[in-house]
Amino acid sequence: MKETDKYIIEQRRIFLVIAILVAFLFILSGFIRLQVINKEEYVQKSLDNSVRKLQMYPVRGLILDSSGEILVDNRSSFSVAVIPKAISPETLHQLCEFLDINYEDTQQKIRKEFGFRPIIIERDISMEMLIAIEEQRFDLPGVLTLVTPKRYYPEDVNSPHIFGTIGEINRAEQQLFRDYDPGDMIGKSGMERQYESILRGSKGSQYLLVDASGRDLGNYDLHRNIAPIHGSDLHLKMNYRHQQIAESLLTDQRGAIVAIDVKTGGILALVSKPDFDPRLLTGKIIPEVWKGLQDDESRPLYSRALQSGYPPGSTFKVVAAIAALQEGIIQPSWKSTCPGYFRLGRKTINCWNAEGHGTIDLMDAIKHSCNVYFYQLGLKIGLETWSQYSSILQFGNPTGIDLPNENKGLVPTVDYFNRVYGKNGWTRGNLANLAIGQGELLTTPLQMAQLAMIIANKGVYHTPHLVDQIYDYTTGRSVNFPFDTKYISGISDEVYDIIRESMRMVCNGGTGWLGKVPGIETAGKTGSAQNPHGETHAWFIGFAPYDLPEIAIAVIVENAGGGGAVAAPIARKFMEVYFFGRIIPRPVVKKDTTTVVSDSLMQLLDINNIQPIQIDRRFE
Amino acid sequence: MKKNQFLKLDFPLIITCLGLLTIGLIAVYSATHAFGLEETNYFKKQLSIAFSAVAFMFLVAFLPFRWLSRFSYVIYGLSIFLLILVLFTGNRGFGAERWLNFGPLRLQPSELAKLATILAVANFISKPQIDINRLKHLSIAVGLIIIPALLIARQPDLGTSLVFMALCLPLLFWAGLNWFYLFIIITPFITMILSFNFYAFLVWMILIITILIFSARKPYILISIFLLHIFMGLMTPILWNQLKPYQQKRILTFMSPEDDPKGAGYQIIQSKVAIGSGGIWGKGFLDGSQTQLRFLPAQHTDFIFSVIGEEWGFMGVSIIICLFLVLLLYLIYLAGLVRSLFSSLTIIGITTVFFFHIIINIGMSVGLAPVTGLPLPFISYGGSFLIMVFLMIGVVLNVSLNRFLV
Repeated sequence: MKETDKYIIEQRRIFLVIAILVAFLFILSGFIRLQVINKEEYVQKSLDNSVRKLQMYPVRGLILDSSGEILVDNRSSFSVAVIPKAISPETLHQLCEFLDINYEDTQQKIRKEFGFRPIIIERDISMEMLIAIEEQRFDLPGVLTLVTPKRYYPEDVNSPHIFGTIGEINRAEQQLFRDYDPGDMIGKSGMERQYESILRGSKGSQYLLVDASGRDLGNYDLHRNIAPIHGSDLHLKMNYRHQQIAESLLTDQRGAIVAIDVKTGGILALVSKPDFDPRLLTGKIIPEVWKGLQDDESRPLYSRALQSGYPPGSTFKVVAAIAALQEGIIQPSWKSTCPGYFRLGRKTINCWNAEGHGTIDLMDAIKHSCNVYFYQLGLKIGLETWSQYSSILQFGNPTGIDLPNENKGLVPTVDYFNRVYGKNGWTRGNLANLAIGQGELLTTPLQMAQLAMIIANKGVYHTPHLVDQIYDYTTGRSVNFPFDTKYISGISDEVYDIIRESMRMVCNGGTGWLGKVPGIETAGKTGSAQNPHGETHAWFIGFAPYDLPEIAIAVIVENAGGGGAVAAPIARKFMEVYFFGRIIPRPVVKKDTTTVVSDSLMQLLDINNIQPIQIDRRFE
Repeated sequence: MKKNQFLKLDFPLIITCLGLLTIGLIAVYSATHAFGLEETNYFKKQLSIAFSAVAFMFLVAFLPFRWLSRFSYVIYGLSIFLLILVLFTGNRGFGAERWLNFGPLRLQPSELAKLATILAVANFISKPQIDINRLKHLSIAVGLIIIPALLIARQPDLGTSLVFMALCLPLLFWAGLNWFYLFIIITPFITMILSFNFYAFLVWMILIITILIFSARKPYILISIFLLHIFMGLMTPILWNQLKPYQQKRILTFMSPEDDPKGAGYQIIQSKVAIGSGGIWGKGFLDGSQTQLRFLPAQHTDFIFSVIGEEWGFMGVSIIICLFLVLLLYLIYLAGLVRSLFSSLTIIGITTVFFFHIIINIGMSVGLAPVTGLPLPFISYGGSFLIMVFLMIGVVLNVSLNRFLV
C-alpha cells in the first residue's frame, strides 16, 4: 500500500474533514446551548457567585417614657460568626474549643445553612476574646467578628416584665414568621414580643462583590442597595419615675401593683415582684442563669400583674353589691345583723371581726367589709346573677392590654360548678364564698385595676395600654396609640353612686383608712384573700380623686396579711407620688409603750442594783 | 539560509498560528490579571516563552528535511528514557510526577514524547518494506505508541496517555490500514461502554453481526470476533461490580463530574457558569466576574477557554473555534499535498494531537468532555506545552517547505 493514488488520498481527506467538522459542530452546539439558549440562567448563577446580598439589620426601636427618658436602648456588642461555605471542620473545632461552646451543636446550626451568609455562633463576646480572635484572623479562615446590637437598659431601669426580652428566632417561630432568617432576633416576651413588628424596623440589603475565596470587594452597585429602616420607637404612657417608686414599694415582697390613668386607660405603673435584672437576658445568655430563673420557686419570670390568677377576696364584694342593687334584690337600706359568725346548714363561717359588726346596711357592710352581710347577700343574689355581673364587669375576659400571655382569670358559673362538682355536688356554701371573693374565683391585679377604673368612671373604661405614642422614623412623626373606649351598659349611675360613696367611706374611717391620700378624696376597697399558702393575700383597689377620678389602682401583696394594713398604704404612697411627686410623711403611730419601759426600769433598780442608802440613818 | 527559502515558508499556517498565539496571550493576561501583584507575572513569563517558542519553530522549519526521519528513533529513545526517568526522579505536582528539573528549567517529558512518537511511527510506517496490514508490522507500529502511553499513564496522567491512544487510529487509517482491522480495534471499547444498557447493547450487537456478515471473511474469524464481543459485554458489568465503591465513584466522577458539585464537579460548574453568563457578546475584556473574581479554577491553564467564553462571548468563541478549524483543515489539506508518506503521516499525527487537545479542552469547558487536564494549544499558559506546539508547527513548516521531496 505504498503507492496511494490521488483518489484514495482524497477519500481519506474527506473522511477526516467530516470527522473534524462533526466534532466541532458538536462542541459549538455546547456553546450555543450555554451562551445563547440558557444565557439568563447562567447570568443569574454568575451573579449568585460574585454578588452577595448582605442583609443590613435595622436598629431596633427604643422604648421611652412619657418624659422622653430612654428606658430601652441599643448598644453594640461583638459576635463571632462563621461562613459555612468557607470554614473547615478543623477551624470550627478550634474555634469552638476557644469559645468553649459545644462543637456538635454549632455544627448542627451551620449545617442547616450553606453559602456565604455569616452565621452567628456566639453573641456578646468579651473584649479580650474579640482581640484574641482578631489577632488569629488569618489562622481562622471563614471566621469573622460582627458588630451586633444588643439591648441596653440605663442604670436605673428595671421592669423586665414590661419590656420583655429578645432572642434568636426558634424553629416554631420561623414557621409563623416567614420573613425572618435563622439567627434573626425576635421579641420573646413583654413589649418586645407584642410590638415586634413595630420595633423591628425593616431589613435593608447591600449588594457586595465577592471573590471566590469569599473576600469582600466593596459595593456591587450602590443604587441597588436598600438602607434598613429604623424600628419605630415606643413612647410609654407612664412616667418611669412613678414606676420606679411603685417597684420600690414592693421591695422584698411578692405581689403586684397596677395603676391606670382612668381617662385613657394608659398604664401608669405595672409592677410584678419578685423580678429579675433584665440585663441578664440580653446579649449572651448564660444557661445557668436562665435555668436558675426558670427554676426559682418565686417565679420571677412571670408577671404577676397580668399572668397570675388570685382570689380577689373582699375587694370583690363591690361586684356582689352592684349585682344586688342593679337587679333590685335589695335596697341600699337593707340591713342585716352580723354576730361575728354565719351558720349555713351544718357549717359555721366566721366574719373576720369575731365580735360581729351588729346590724348594718350595705354601705356600712362595704365600709367595714362585713363577711356575714355578704354571705347573706350572696345567697339572695344567686350564682347565675352573680356570675352574670362578674362577666359584665369584664372578669373572666382578658383586658386586652398590649402585653402577651395575659391570664383571663376565672369566673365560676352554674355550668362550671355542674361540670366540676356534678349537678348537685355544689352547695350554697360555694356561692356564699364567691360573694366575698373567695373560692374558685380568680382575677388578675390588672382586672382589679380595671374594675376600679370602671367604678371611677361610672361604667366607662378604656383598654389598658402601655404605649402612648409610636414614633415612625420614615415619616418622622408620632402616631397616637389607638385605644378602645367602652361603656358597660346595664348598670345605672345610681348604683355606681352608692358603690362609689361606700368606697369613699372605706378610705374615710373604714378598713382602708390607711389608703387615704391626704388632701385628696380617695375611694377604695380592701381585701384579705385566704389562700392555701399561708397568710392572706393583702388586696387594695381604689381610685382618686373621688369627684374627678384620675387614677385607678390595684395592689396585691402575697401572704402579707390584711389588705387594709399592708396593701392600702402601698396604694396611698403611690398615689401621693402621682399627685404630689413625693411620699408625704405622716406621724408614725406607735403603741404607747413609754410607761411599760419605765416600769421595768423601776423594777430593775428595785430588785437588783440599788444599795440601801445609809445616809438617812447616819443622820438619824 | 537563502532568502527565497524564507519566502517559501507556509505563511497561511504561520499567520493562523500567530493569530491564535496572540489571542492566547491576551486571554492569559486577562486570566492572570486577577491574581494581583503578589504572584508570579504569568503574562510576562508566557510572553517570553512565546518568543522562544516561535524561534524554535523557525529553527525546526529550516532543519534539513532528512534529519526529521533520520533522528526520529533517537528522539523517540531519548523521550522514552526521560519518561522512565520521570517515574523515578519526577517532581511532584498535583499528585502526579510529570516534571523533570534541569536547573531552573522544568520540563514535561510527555510533551516531547508526543512529537517523538509521531515522528518514530511515521518513520516506521513509511519504510518501503513495511506493510501495515501485516500483523507483525501493525503490532510494532501500535507498540511504538503504546509504550510511551503506558509510561505516561503510570505518572499518572491519564489525559495525556489518551492523546497517544487517539494517535493510533488516524495514523493507521492514513497509512492505509484495512478498515476491517480498524473495526476490530475500535468496536470492543464501544461494546464495553454499551454493555451497561441492555437495549443499546442489543442494537449494537445486531449492528456488529450485520457488519461482520457484509465483511465476507472466513466464518470462524467472524464467530470468534462476535463471541469476543459477547464475552466482553457480559464481563464488563461483572468487572464493574468487582470494583470497590470508591473506585467506581472515581470513574463515575470522571465521566460526569457534575454529580460531585463540591469536588470534581466544581470546576465544570464554574466553567459552565462563566461561559453561559458571557452570552453572545461577552462581558468584555477584564470584565468577566467569574474570571476576575477567580471562581474559575485553573483559569489560565486548563480552563482558559472559559475565560474567553465569558469575556468575549459566543462571538469570540466562534472566531477562535473557526481559527482552530481553519488550522486543522489546512493541516489535512497539507497532508494530501506532500509527496512522501513520512511527511503526510507526520502531519496527520500532529493534526490528531491538536484536534484531540482542542476538542477535549474546549469540550470540558462546556461540560461535553471529561476533565482531563489537557491544555489548549496556543492558548493555555504553560511553557513545555507551548514550545512543543510550536515545535510541531515547525515540523509541519519544514515538511511543507520540502513538500516535493519524497
